[in-house]
Amino acid sequence: MTPETVGLVGIALLVALFLIRVPVAFSMTIVGLAGFAYLSGIESALSLLAQDIFETFSSQPLSVIPTFILMGSFAFASGISQRLYFAGYTWVGHLRGGLTLATVLACSGFAAICGSTAATAATMGKIALPEMKKYNYDQSFATGTVASAGTLGILIPPSTVFIVYGIMTEESIGKLFIAGILPGAILTVLFMLTVVVLCLHNPKLGPAGPVTTWRQKFIALSGIIEAVILFALAIGGLFLGWFSPTQAGGIGAFGALVIGLFRGGFNLKVTLDATRDGLRTSCMVLFIIAGATVFGHFMAISNIPFKLADWVGNLPIPPMAIMGVIIFIYFIGGFFMDSMAMIVVSLPIFFPIVKKFGFDPIWFGVIIVLIAEMGVITPPVGVNVFVIKGIAPEVPLNQIFKGIFPFLVGLFILTFLLMAFPWIATWLPSLM
Amino acid sequence: MFTLEKFDSFNRKISLGLELIGLAAMIFLVFITTVDVIGAKLFVRPVFGALDVVMLSQLVAISFASAITLIVGRHVEVEFLVMLFPRRIRMVVDLFVKLLCLTLFVILVWRLTEYAHHLQVRHEVTPTARIPLYPFAYGAAFACIPVCLVYISIVIQSFFGLIKR
Repeated sequence: MTPETVGLVGIALLVALFLIRVPVAFSMTIVGLAGFAYLSGIESALSLLAQDIFETFSSQPLSVIPTFILMGSFAFASGISQRLYFAGYTWVGHLRGGLTLATVLACSGFAAICGSTAATAATMGKIALPEMKKYNYDQSFATGTVASAGTLGILIPPSTVFIVYGIMTEESIGKLFIAGILPGAILTVLFMLTVVVLCLHNPKLGPAGPVTTWRQKFIALSGIIEAVILFALAIGGLFLGWFSPTQAGGIGAFGALVIGLFRGGFNLKVTLDATRDGLRTSCMVLFIIAGATVFGHFMAISNIPFKLADWVGNLPIPPMAIMGVIIFIYFIGGFFMDSMAMIVVSLPIFFPIVKKFGFDPIWFGVIIVLIAEMGVITPPVGVNVFVIKGIAPEVPLNQIFKGIFPFLVGLFILTFLLMAFPWIATWLPSLM
Repeated sequence: MFTLEKFDSFNRKISLGLELIGLAAMIFLVFITTVDVIGAKLFVRPVFGALDVVMLSQLVAISFASAITLIVGRHVEVEFLVMLFPRRIRMVVDLFVKLLCLTLFVILVWRLTEYAHHLQVRHEVTPTARIPLYPFAYGAAFACIPVCLVYISIVIQSFFGLIKR
């Protein structure tokens, strides 16, 4: 067999292992090991395996992952989210659909200190859903909003998906983070518009909450100060070149811990639980990256990515149409696979094509994150939906998915906007 | 089955115990990064070898948390197709999958130990603080042993579950 044929068999085998429920990280490791052994000999493959695992786990650039994940875990446990929601609630809660508007705003704020969609959805779901239930909000609308707004967690920096994308493509994590700010703000507005339109169309979806005074509104603003400080410290420091990404994550995690200790009532148990959660998530992500490294080495010696890039490059199709096809593949893949895993598996194959056609890698990173956002709220493997289902077990899954569909429109609109006006993603990084 | 329950309980205790080492390493990673940043930016005195310590702390944290991460089911899987299989086929597939994963981790223990030996004989050290790497590689290999034990337990359970039906 030619190396290319072995590569294709490897990809088929990888999909087969995914389908029979071998963990994604281990599937990539197994196929990468077997493929490399077939093409280069068993001894060199076994040596490569140990070296890849050791070097991934001890990679200094990768330590940005545990630090930012830990920052999110501490922020999650520190009660920052509660104060953010209260601030949003005080400002817009009296409007029709106001509690959902507050949820979107609070998710956007929390996304600025937490890089995970599931954590953002979980933390806001716990706070917002009981309130919305109290004011007789439509369950499908309420749960759909929280699950969808939770996706802002990976677009507004910090973002675990941007980190992994940056590491795999050797792009600047700082620039990727900054690139997510403007699209994140636009998506927040689009989600809020969705809420407004839905409530205008059917006022019963979200009855108005209690009216608050201006004094209450301004007092409530104090609840966003700590989130602003954390964001300014970690992401601002990164933007201004004060910190490396790992240092920014470390400072952010330390800052979130300090806030937790002084404002969140952290005791030893809460601190340990939050660290434990961050550690286990980091372990999962680093195993996926280690697997992707082994698989990536196999792909490289099979020549598949380069041949594919050459083949696609010679097709008589405009580059934007090729990009459309790539986005479509990611969108469909996101239905069946965890977004992070999907990105890690596919990047070694698609990224050479993106480079060959001269697309801006930072812009493509933002597009990838948007598609990943769709993946976490679309059936059957919408992680955020299952998170919300865990918080509101009385709401049937199909009702949550039904509530999500209007928000998908916002994600589609932003994707088209980014394709038509790439500067939305590239302008801020160009200032760095 | 009683023995298997005891074996499971043993695995859990060992994994939780190892995770404590991982937790300490994780907290140390954040601490040393913060001290390094503050030292470098405010006092122009970064911590000597901070990057080396960060990379080794991460290695310890991740390796020693691998068993408990498996036990609590944090690894990402694609679930939707297997759920459609009849129960017996699902059990056979499950047994195969767990055997495959067990094999992978047995290989990992073996090869990481060899890799550690290789680092030891070549006196490989970290770039700045010149900390020897081999004890950490042996540690990573050792940390994979509980993962094998967890998989052995799952394989035995799957096998007995299959025979019973």
